[in-house]
Amino acid sequence: MTDIHVTVPKEKWAPVDRGAQDAEFIAAPSLTYWQDVRQRMWRNKPAMASLAFIILLILAAIFGPMLTHHTYYDQDLKLSNIPPIFEVYKTEPTDASAQYMFLNSGNFKLYEVAENGEILGLVRAKRKDLMKKQHIYVFGDAEVRVDYSQLPATLVDGDGNAIESIGYRWNQTNWFGTDSLGRDVLVRQLYGARISLTVAFVAAMVNFFIGVFYGGIAGYFGGNVDNVMMRIVEIIATIPLTLYVILMMVVFQSGFLSIIIAIGSVFWVDMARIVRGQMLSLKNQDYVAAAKTMGASTKRILTRHLLPNTMGPILVTLTLLIPSAIFIESFMSFIGLGVSVPMASWGTLTAEAVETLRAYPHQLFFPAAAISLTMFAFNFLGDGLRDALDPRLRK
Amino acid sequence: MLNYLIKRILMMALTLFLIITLTFFLMHAIPGGPFTSEKMLAPEIEAALNAKYGLDKPIWQQYLSYLQGIITFDLGPSFKYPGVRVNDLIREGLPVTAQTGFLAMLCVVALGIPLGIVAALHQNKWQDTTIMAIATMGVAIPSYVLATIALYLFALQWQLVPTFGLDSWQGYILPVLALSGFWLSFIARLSRSSLLEVLGQDYMVTARAKGLHPQTILFKHGMRNALIPIVTVLGPVVANLLTGSFVIEQIFALPGIGRHFVLSISNRDYTTIMGITIFYAAFLMLMILIVDLLYMVLDPRIKLGEKAQ
Amino acid sequence: MSSAPLLKVDNLTTHFHTSRGDVQAVRGVSFDVKPGEILGIVGESGSGKSITCLSILGLLKANGEVVDGSADFEGKQLTGLSDKQLRTIRGDDIAMIFQDPMTSLNPTLTVGEQLIETIVAHKPVSRGEARKRALELFELVKIPSAASRLDNYPHEFSGGMRQRVMIAMALTCDPKLLIADEPTTALDVTIQRQILLLLKDLQEKLGMAIILITHDLGVIAEVADRILVMYGGMVMETGDVYDVFESPQHPYTTGLLHSIPDVRSHTKQRLTPIPGSPPDMLRPPEGCPFAPRCPHAIQQCLEAMPPLFERPNAKPTVHEARCWLHHEEAPKALQSIFDAPEVSNG
Repeated sequence: MTDIHVTVPKEKWAPVDRGAQDAEFIAAPSLTYWQDVRQRMWRNKPAMASLAFIILLILAAIFGPMLTHHTYYDQDLKLSNIPPIFEVYKTEPTDASAQYMFLNSGNFKLYEVAENGEILGLVRAKRKDLMKKQHIYVFGDAEVRVDYSQLPATLVDGDGNAIESIGYRWNQTNWFGTDSLGRDVLVRQLYGARISLTVAFVAAMVNFFIGVFYGGIAGYFGGNVDNVMMRIVEIIATIPLTLYVILMMVVFQSGFLSIIIAIGSVFWVDMARIVRGQMLSLKNQDYVAAAKTMGASTKRILTRHLLPNTMGPILVTLTLLIPSAIFIESFMSFIGLGVSVPMASWGTLTAEAVETLRAYPHQLFFPAAAISLTMFAFNFLGDGLRDALDPRLRK
Repeated sequence: MLNYLIKRILMMALTLFLIITLTFFLMHAIPGGPFTSEKMLAPEIEAALNAKYGLDKPIWQQYLSYLQGIITFDLGPSFKYPGVRVNDLIREGLPVTAQTGFLAMLCVVALGIPLGIVAALHQNKWQDTTIMAIATMGVAIPSYVLATIALYLFALQWQLVPTFGLDSWQGYILPVLALSGFWLSFIARLSRSSLLEVLGQDYMVTARAKGLHPQTILFKHGMRNALIPIVTVLGPVVANLLTGSFVIEQIFALPGIGRHFVLSISNRDYTTIMGITIFYAAFLMLMILIVDLLYMVLDPRIKLGEKAQ
Repeated sequence: MSSAPLLKVDNLTTHFHTSRGDVQAVRGVSFDVKPGEILGIVGESGSGKSITCLSILGLLKANGEVVDGSADFEGKQLTGLSDKQLRTIRGDDIAMIFQDPMTSLNPTLTVGEQLIETIVAHKPVSRGEARKRALELFELVKIPSAASRLDNYPHEFSGGMRQRVMIAMALTCDPKLLIADEPTTALDVTIQRQILLLLKDLQEKLGMAIILITHDLGVIAEVADRILVMYGGMVMETGDVYDVFESPQHPYTTGLLHSIPDVRSHTKQRLTPIPGSPPDMLRPPEGCPFAPRCPHAIQQCLEAMPPLFERPNAKPTVHEARCWLHHEEAPKALQSIFDAPEVSNG
């Protein structure tokens, strides 16, 4: 603390030059609500990464299948259950026969590959020795045996010595491998993304419109209209909705359209409640009264004053509705009520992978990762949006 | 209190009646009878079957007799298993579903809430970060994916637990884990945010200013208030644990109601689908009633008969 | 200066650690409270008056820390005590009531329970005896039909009644010091006066000291003995309430007095608000915190922190002000702003 007897230089007794500084000093430029929201979204790294992931996923789902000759329905049983990464073995044939090959340890089949990992085809066994549990292949004068007497199966030469592998290669023909019917997993994943995302978005939009419409009417008119409408919502809310989606799928028969209808028609209850709550609290605000006194029409009040101000919570609910729609769709597909074959969704892909879980556990990886990551992304985005839109967090 | 209870039960009965009606007519709106899809069924046999199950009568008569059955707690015969009634299927599956469901619920409450408390009390420290990272994963990974991965790793790969069945206590671990995973994470997240919100309230400062013991402050003042939003979601949690059991019982081959339900769907066994749906709906409404009553005990601001807005 | 102070706060400094840096909420505040006196602390929101009191009782949020200074209560260094030791003082020797009785009472417990738990925490009495004591307190703070209201929940009371409950709760253990943080701000004007008179009345009856935090000078004038004017986390002026009101010695105090209406005035008097806003406590100004808004500021004010200058007066109470214009070398022309009473109408 300064001493009271400190000497003050003479020039310091001059009055402060008010031109130089402003009493109304503002530390930071003031932002509009949406600018502020955008800025806070931008600073939320997990939410932005999630948004980037979702955009990439959508782009991949739209354009990915166009960039390949594989289709989601073409089967090639000779090339079934190929993994995305495999160990390549080199043989030294004297003639022009296969040089590089890999052993599919799930079905003991030998495939000819190029050195870079491109798959050239299935190699036919010369002989099958069921006693010694060996398949014998002949390349020129060299002999290669698949020995499955002990698991995992190994590749040995004619004298029974193990053949050294030249290392792992990424499958260049089918980047994600093939499924049990020899279909390309990557393309089926991308088609699965198309189906899952379309179902989720469309169902979320349908719910959004029904919810906003229903909740908006109930909240805006209030009174008896509100009472009756909310009583109905209460009844619907006590019904386990997943059960109803299941029932509807049973009635409509499984398929793309029915799952959209089924999901779209039952999950609007939350949305309706939120919109109604917002409407009720907002319509008593002074600015709505002000608009009314100035003679604004009901429609104008609804669209210009009430809806924009209910946007925040609605947006958050919508963002969180999408992952639950994705989940329900995959859930339905998983129990056999989703899209019909040969169409694929992430749910059907997971269900298919479960069937081959014991022999080819890797097939579970892609659909499980795809759906989990997408759910992750939408959850992060929704959380981020909720934080960004919360005016209590404004600083 | 009694008035409110009666009102609620009447409301429940009305809802249940609507569900029964809706389910009944939805099931009968499916084109073709339940036996038309079966191949090699001579027309006279189909007619005989229809007559046996009363399907030749006009629809309203079928509806009335179905209602009559429900009043006497009879959900009718299964169309696919001759001589088996839907009641039998439920009675047979109930112990399995109830056991796993109860254990999963126990996990959700007894693990989810404490984990949320620990995270909230160590906000932004490693305990919080770790718990929330796991909980965020738990919310994002669908139950059937979690179940399959767990099944592969713990049962097939490392053989720590049996792959199916509930013959030993180890058999319960994976199904209960997979069933409760999502809601455990959800409740942990909710408990954390709810407790953090409460910890910031003025009355918590008052409690400290009164010189109360920290434990009294945390549990009597903090948790009691933080529990209110948690209790409100417990009703839906029960509902979702039940529907979640459809796939979990399928994956782990548990002979519960959910498995019967999924089987009846692929068998197009309409009476069973209908019966189990109605059974579930009734059960859930009972749960929601219990949760609502619990809610009112916790929050004195809620007047009986009117819900908080 | 007759009796030893009950509470002696010396150079108290409190910071809040945030992601953007340390918020210097309280910067070297010193004052004392004598037994049985009412000290009014006045200042705008964000001036550090509430934080000062929360610091004394160790009730800061997790990111708050007393980085320097001390608070001495009857010879005990409060700032050095563990939470366990502080608990025996909180609610017992020093009690606190808060601004908003709506949010300061736990909504899920009956008010009776909230009183009883405080008594039981500090006194070796049974719950039955505690309940009897709670009933006495309800009658003391004049809650009508007290016996039946003990089992009510906070939401069943009106705002004024809730503040009475808060006061009753603070009085459970006959505190020697009551800290009242804006006790009337959230209440209706008519209720404000009732609560204030109740506080004054209780203070006389029970002989406790009160620290009354407020931004309302009217409240201070009504009940306080001494006043502490805070701005930017520092004491700007302190003195006997009459001295400060009659001849404010700091331009900020003058500004505060000008911004309240004077009902005694018969002429049409304009209210003059103080232009500008309080300083950013993340980066408080180097000089006097009020200088950027001060109509009389000089260069020195912007560059160096003024010390507290004691003003001569006839009373035993010290009258001090933190303003460079009281410096012995200050030109007489500048000092003259303090000479004539600024509130000249009436």
